[in-house]
Amino acid sequence: MGAHRIMVIDDERIVGEMAKLSLEAEGYRVETFVDAQPALARLEEATFEVIITDYKMRGVDGMEVLKHVRKAHPNVKVIMITAFANLDTAIEALRGEVHDFFPKPVKLKDLKASIHRALDPTERAAHE
Amino acid sequence: MKIERQIILSNSLVMLLIALMRAVGYQSLSVILTKLRFVEIADDLNAGFLETRLSEKNYFLYADPKALEAIGQKLASTEEAIDRSREEIEAAIGPENLALLRAKVRGYQLALAALPEGGRGDGKAEAVLRARGQDLREFSGTTTGLERQAVNRIIGSAKTVLFVSFVAFFALAFAVSHFVSQRIVRSLRTIEALARSISQGSFQQLPRREGGDELDAVAAALSSMSEELEHREEQIIQARKLASIGVLTAGVTHELTNPVNNISMIAQTLAELHAQLPAEKQLEMVGQIDSETDRIKRIIKNLLDFSKPQGTRLAKTSLNDLAKKALPLVQNQLTVSNIELTQALTEPLPQVLVDEHQVQQVLVNLIVNAVQAMGTGGHLTISTRATAGRVELSIQDNGQGIAPEHLPQIFDPFFSTKGTQGTGLGLSVSYGIMKNHNGEIKVESRLGVGTTFTIGLPAV
Repeated sequence: MGAHRIMVIDDERIVGEMAKLSLEAEGYRVETFVDAQPALARLEEATFEVIITDYKMRGVDGMEVLKHVRKAHPNVKVIMITAFANLDTAIEALRGEVHDFFPKPVKLKDLKASIHRALDPTERAAHE
Repeated sequence: MKIERQIILSNSLVMLLIALMRAVGYQSLSVILTKLRFVEIADDLNAGFLETRLSEKNYFLYADPKALEAIGQKLASTEEAIDRSREEIEAAIGPENLALLRAKVRGYQLALAALPEGGRGDGKAEAVLRARGQDLREFSGTTTGLERQAVNRIIGSAKTVLFVSFVAFFALAFAVSHFVSQRIVRSLRTIEALARSISQGSFQQLPRREGGDELDAVAAALSSMSEELEHREEQIIQARKLASIGVLTAGVTHELTNPVNNISMIAQTLAELHAQLPAEKQLEMVGQIDSETDRIKRIIKNLLDFSKPQGTRLAKTSLNDLAKKALPLVQNQLTVSNIELTQALTEPLPQVLVDEHQVQQVLVNLIVNAVQAMGTGGHLTISTRATAGRVELSIQDNGQGIAPEHLPQIFDPFFSTKGTQGTGLGLSVSYGIMKNHNGEIKVESRLGVGTTFTIGLPAV
């Protein structure tokens, strides 16, 4: 079984860069995007198990990514991170059946734990 | 001179004139009274003389000694009458004429006494008596006539004096009231102009005039009120700015979260991977931390610059540049509310002479208002253009619009349709700022379609 593939979408380039460094050190294969449009196109070519997306982005934003993924790729887990964390965004994200939701600044440890849970087959089975 | 003193002085002048008129009138009346009394007495004397002469005639016709006796009696009673009314006669015709009258009466008496006893003489004495009687009668008649003329003359001149003083009185009263009212009206106009300019938000002051009148004092009071208002307006501008900062801070906090998250993630990654990352990569990451710190510094500086109280400092600038400086302050409001921004900035644009911070505050106010009017997912257009001698900037939203009945009030202080969200000061402060720049702020709005605020400034 190959490495798990993770996609990171954030218009802050550093978020993608650091997530890639940190997650690849853990053995994941990571692709990063600063724009949601090409990211969604990439989803049609390759299979990703987890998508980490920013909530507020120019153009297509995190909620639209979440809705699209829930519809087109229901097995893919979406973790949302946001600088605009408040109750409304959290509720909106939960209604869109997000796997996890982190306000910035994000702790990489928490992010990895969340990814780990997303990839855990028992968790997946329980969820499905 | 004080208006009070002017009015007192002019009133006194009018009063004095009236008193003078009265005095002249009184004087004339007294003279007339004296003369009339004399004329009355003179008429009696004349009658007495006439009777004397009738008796004289009788004596000459009938040589009646009783007639002679009657003449004596008449003369005696006339003399008595003269003595009785000596004062009045003297007052009317003067002591010389009185003496003359007495002398003539005496002369007549002497002529009478010189008549030959009991019969006719050579007629010489009779001739003297006749002549003196004639003379006495003429003197008395002439004097009375003259006095009558004098009375008529005095009445005539009293009439003239009355008429002339009447005209003078009216002319003076008119001139005085015209002068005073002109002065009052002129001062009132100045005060009215000042009050109007204050109500239009321009807090000019009048030059102080020492020792001015009451209206100058009112103007001075208004002037210092204007000064005070200007001071208050500066305070309101600052208060409004602080309110804007409240709104902006929410946005800025979010804006700060991104660089803070970036620094945090770099630090966590460095801590995790420092053993295996090449030194150059680590150095690059430290450099990234540094530039993210700069980003935070810029965001904070923007907010600090905006919130700092500033004295008015005019500088030439372009409204395009001001729009570009204002937008980062509100960028997060736009992002949070998912608002699409279109910039239609005309280049090149003539410059304007403005206080950058104040006009920037107007732009921030208008954009924040637009964002609040649109809620989520609107479209904001910022455009600039040059018109004849002026430069305009419009901020157009496709929000809820302003009800037509609210449009005339939106620039009034404390008018707000936002309930607790608004202070009702944003637009009135914006209006004041634009007025102070010889500019204007206009609004066009349609309910359900959107609102466009346009500021205009003279090009330099």
